[in-house]
Amino acid sequence: MNRKTALIAALFGVLAFAAPAQAARVEVQWWHAMSGVLGDRLNELVEKFNASQDKYTVVAVAKGNYDEVTNGVIAAYRAKRPPEMVQIAERGYMTMLLSGAIVPVQDLMDQKAYKIDWPDFIKPVASFWSYKGRMSAMPFNSSTPIFWYNKEHFRKAGFDKPADTWQELEAQLYAIKAKGVSECGSVLPGDFYWSLLENYSAINNQPYGTLANGFDGLGTEFVYNKTKVVSQVARLKKWLDDGVLQIAGQGFSPEQLFTSGRCSTFVNSTASHGNIERNAKIDWSATFLPHENDINPPLNSTIGGGAIWVMKGHTPERYDAVAAFLDFVAQPETQVWWHGVTGYVPATNKAYGLARERGYYKDHPTREIAVLQLSRGTPNENSRGFRFGNFVQTMLAQRTEVEAVFTGQKQPQQAMDDAVKRGNEILRQFEKLNAGKDTEADGKPK
Amino acid sequence: MTPRPGKARTLKHGRPDREPGLKRANFGHGPGLPTLLLLPQFLILVFFFFIPSLRALMQSVLLSDPFGNNVHFVWFDNFTALFANGEYRQSIVTTLWFTVAQNVITLAVAVVLAFATDRVVRARSVYRTVILLPYAIAPAIAGILWAFLFNPVVGPLAHMLHALGIGWDPNRNPSDALRLVIMAASWKHICYNYIFLAVGLLAVPASLMEAAAVDGAGPIRRFFLIALPMLGPTVFFLAVMNFIYGFFETFAIIDAVTHGGPAGATNILVYKVYVDGFVNLDLGSSAAQSVLLMTFALICTLLQFRYFDHKVNYGV
Repeated sequence: MNRKTALIAALFGVLAFAAPAQAARVEVQWWHAMSGVLGDRLNELVEKFNASQDKYTVVAVAKGNYDEVTNGVIAAYRAKRPPEMVQIAERGYMTMLLSGAIVPVQDLMDQKAYKIDWPDFIKPVASFWSYKGRMSAMPFNSSTPIFWYNKEHFRKAGFDKPADTWQELEAQLYAIKAKGVSECGSVLPGDFYWSLLENYSAINNQPYGTLANGFDGLGTEFVYNKTKVVSQVARLKKWLDDGVLQIAGQGFSPEQLFTSGRCSTFVNSTASHGNIERNAKIDWSATFLPHENDINPPLNSTIGGGAIWVMKGHTPERYDAVAAFLDFVAQPETQVWWHGVTGYVPATNKAYGLARERGYYKDHPTREIAVLQLSRGTPNENSRGFRFGNFVQTMLAQRTEVEAVFTGQKQPQQAMDDAVKRGNEILRQFEKLNAGKDTEADGKPK
Repeated sequence: MTPRPGKARTLKHGRPDREPGLKRANFGHGPGLPTLLLLPQFLILVFFFFIPSLRALMQSVLLSDPFGNNVHFVWFDNFTALFANGEYRQSIVTTLWFTVAQNVITLAVAVVLAFATDRVVRARSVYRTVILLPYAIAPAIAGILWAFLFNPVVGPLAHMLHALGIGWDPNRNPSDALRLVIMAASWKHICYNYIFLAVGLLAVPASLMEAAAVDGAGPIRRFFLIALPMLGPTVFFLAVMNFIYGFFETFAIIDAVTHGGPAGATNILVYKVYVDGFVNLDLGSSAAQSVLLMTFALICTLLQFRYFDHKVNYGV
């Protein structure tokens, strides 16, 4: 081949690759908050989608943690350049829903004529992410806290497994400490407000706020200062004082204290499966969260994690791409894969059934705990979930008050009274800001 | 009239006799070139200071959702709410403690180090490099480092303290937490102070020190009576800079070391501005706080110039 023909061939080669790329692919952005193992998996998911067809390209952009993603989206929206899709944590639900900046996913999917089997989404997931019966965001990474334990520590202390109730568990943890099996029975999770106060309330059928924990309107008020949450805080304080519970503190994660075999138990999201499998050098297992001995049967736990929101203000072609991607995410195959590699809950019953059928839970029994715990019993007003405006802010106020108990500055009752008072002021501010919006956010386009 | 030091001396041949080194820059005729040269700085100020400040002032009288689709004008509600808030008042006290302690520690350590390396003859540059290293470390990394070293469960330095019988636990003891962030913030800023003081010491005339030594003054006496007064302007400048550092630039350290806890014990004003604005998304309150923070800093700096400045002798 002489030089001329080679050049011509090269030119055709370039054209052959360049032409379809220019003509077809519509590019959309998805901002997310996943890092580490989870971030790698998310990128794999996006690559799978991009490889599955030749019309659309989804670009996944890691924007830091959930707070940073939220801030990034707000700044971008105010500058009139929002991404098409964004992953927001469950605490931001009301802020996003009433923002006037989003397109409810069910509307989008209807408009683009995608058939999604919405009733098939597992109940706690569907009820959390939908408003007035219509899905506002696409459930993506749903999780719930479960109870992780070191099998060897329990064996050495003469127990088969952790007890079901807080009372018996307390005796076990004190025994583990007394027998010198480990110096720390449990480690306080960084998000203890989620697992040990909110989910505690749901499982033990305690009201957290009025109006069905905020599901029935903006006029909700916190009431957890009048429930077993107060004695739960007192219990944690007692464990801390007796050295049965440790705070990992900054510079070190609670998970590391558990996986290194220093602490015998640990309450954390089912999403830690990936990390724990990778890092743990101990013989670990997991089970349901404990409940109070006078609650029978315990109720379901509630979900955390994030969902994919669609932002307003883009062209129809881009929404075609968004809808195609969301449809891909909702497919049972995608869900099963994502569930398996991350530990997040499968979002639909079909996906859960598929995982069972394939015998997935025989090899990975702890992966099923979250699903079983989420669908245990009949959800009632206390266990449906938590839907409060400015939820991050009220949670931080509560967290500060609980810390005041841990530092010995306040008694549990006093601290919870103060937390509720502060929380209610924050709720009233949200209500004032969003007054009259209740009907607008009907899930229907204006 | 007797000539005063520091001012232009008496006229000689009808022209002011300028001291060597203090030449006036000449930009030719007209305002063109000076304006052009000032423009970049001016633009930076406009875009990164004046416009954001104005936006903060506007936002501070508004109640709005984060996306800005619902905005209510609320007069000074954001400000009155702050002063009615016990947490905010505690934050003011914490900030004052933090800033003053950080300032004193930073200056004291830097002065000692600067004086020590000034006296060292061998391998002086090695010492200086080592002392300057922390400045090259990002605040968040420095914070994590300190948090880890003093972590009550796994930190080696915390274990040493425990072995000495000190019940160190910044997770459950508010004053330990405050001590930890003061140490971390000071450590990060000592090098900045050090470099100015080390250079300042070079300017102290060797003849004066030698004369004092001949008169029998020991190194400590020479330091306090000669070197330190001559460093006055530098120390004053550093005190102002440390103050601004403590007020505005320490939030990354707080975020990495304590997250403002436990129970708000290390929630200094600038961290509170960050949390309320970027985590809680309460933009009105956050803006009101940043306006107040700027006012506090302005007042404190003015007071420093008004009172402290008189005690500094520039005429050496």
